Amino acid sequence: MKKYIIIVIVILLLMVLYAVIFKNNKLDKYEKNLFYMDTYINITIYNESKEKANAALDKIDSIYKNYHDLTNRYEENELINVYYINNNNDNKEYLDIDSKLYNLLEYGINWYQKSNNLLNINMGNIIDVWKKYRDLGNGIPTSEEINNAAINDINKIILKDGKIKNNHPNIDLGAIAKGYATEEAGKYLESIGIDKYIINAGGNVKVGNHYAADKYKIGIENPEDPSKIYMVIKGNNISVVTSGGYQRFYEYNGKRYSHIIDPNTLYPGNYMKSVTVITKDSSLGDALSTTLFLMSIQDGMEYIKQFDDVAAIWYTNDNEIIKSKGISKYE
Amino acid sequence: MNKSDIKLIVSSLLIILIILGIRFIFRNKNNKVAIVYYENKIVSKIDLSINNEYTVDGYNGKVYMEVKDNKIRVKEEVSPKHICSYQGFISETYETIVCLPNKIIIKIEANEELDTVVR
Repeated sequence: MKKYIIIVIVILLLMVLYAVIFKNNKLDKYEKNLFYMDTYINITIYNESKEKANAALDKIDSIYKNYHDLTNRYEENELINVYYINNNNDNKEYLDIDSKLYNLLEYGINWYQKSNNLLNINMGNIIDVWKKYRDLGNGIPTSEEINNAAINDINKIILKDGKIKNNHPNIDLGAIAKGYATEEAGKYLESIGIDKYIINAGGNVKVGNHYAADKYKIGIENPEDPSKIYMVIKGNNISVVTSGGYQRFYEYNGKRYSHIIDPNTLYPGNYMKSVTVITKDSSLGDALSTTLFLMSIQDGMEYIKQFDDVAAIWYTNDNEIIKSKGISKYE
Repeated sequence: MNKSDIKLIVSSLLIILIILGIRFIFRNKNNKVAIVYYENKIVSKIDLSINNEYTVDGYNGKVYMEVKDNKIRVKEEVSPKHICSYQGFISETYETIVCLPNKIIIKIEANEELDTVVR
């Protein structure tokens, strides 16, 4: 009898020991995939509470959906969205718009000057002309097509007291909306105490603290081959945004045409194959990556010096990798 | 405590150690699995170590997948541009096949090295 008691005690002790040694302090991982803004978005949260994590994932779904609906310029919905603003011409002088859209438009307009007139949110038509050919994967627009679509005066977008002037602008928020929504999603998670997360919205990645007191390893896809990673960024509480990645360009007559159109030449930027920006703020990262894509690498290197905590990596047309000074702390 | 008690303790310790050892060895076995999502629901988990063909229901119809040499691809699906069939085989954890028209996503899972990838 005594023997059995001893055996039981020993086994119990070992079970406790096993639990202590192998208890992975790993938090549970919760994920959700979303499709908005023409992008596959993956949200990962590390948390103890299933209820809290799932509620947060649903809330993030609604944040992205809201930005998707507001910035949608191809379809009507119940909101006064970009489609409505671009296409409707009632006699009201100003349109009341959602404050989120208002703030995003204001952010975009401010970036026009900040980007040395390279980031222009009023060039929907010209973007569509190029998109038609990119979707075909063949041919380029005629100069007539380009000139007809060249309505891109940023001063056409007039904002006042939560309203926008009803004067047929030509808004496309593709260059900034995803980063802006991603920043809001990350900020929301932090505000409710979820600090361990990964938000991956294609070219926009934002991470919080690491789930195991380590650093996140964020691979940067090779713009030539999506099965390859050309560099790994290590860090927490950062945003990594790439412009000019794979599947966002097409080739015609041996020339590469990217999806980012230069508002000055009305042609796709071709200074580089891709540029990746590391920032704290995802909206800044998105705006910066577009801006850097449209200037030479030397100019970009100079340009980013005015921002604190910004680092960039360029993948040149000759398949070389050029890093700004700030990159070393993420390697 | 007499001798036979100690023997018992030692032998049960040994047994537990062996169990732990076996678990440890199998834990490190790095079998990759392809997770197939329809929207947000996991509709299939496919072991990439077995060569085979699989089918799931996509939005536009059947999506046919093929596993070969630890890699997976979409072989056939109904969509306007067939982007995901043209993508070919994937095998790394950072690779994803996205069939937007069919609302199908295929991701690879394993002992991940990278946490995420910016595209």
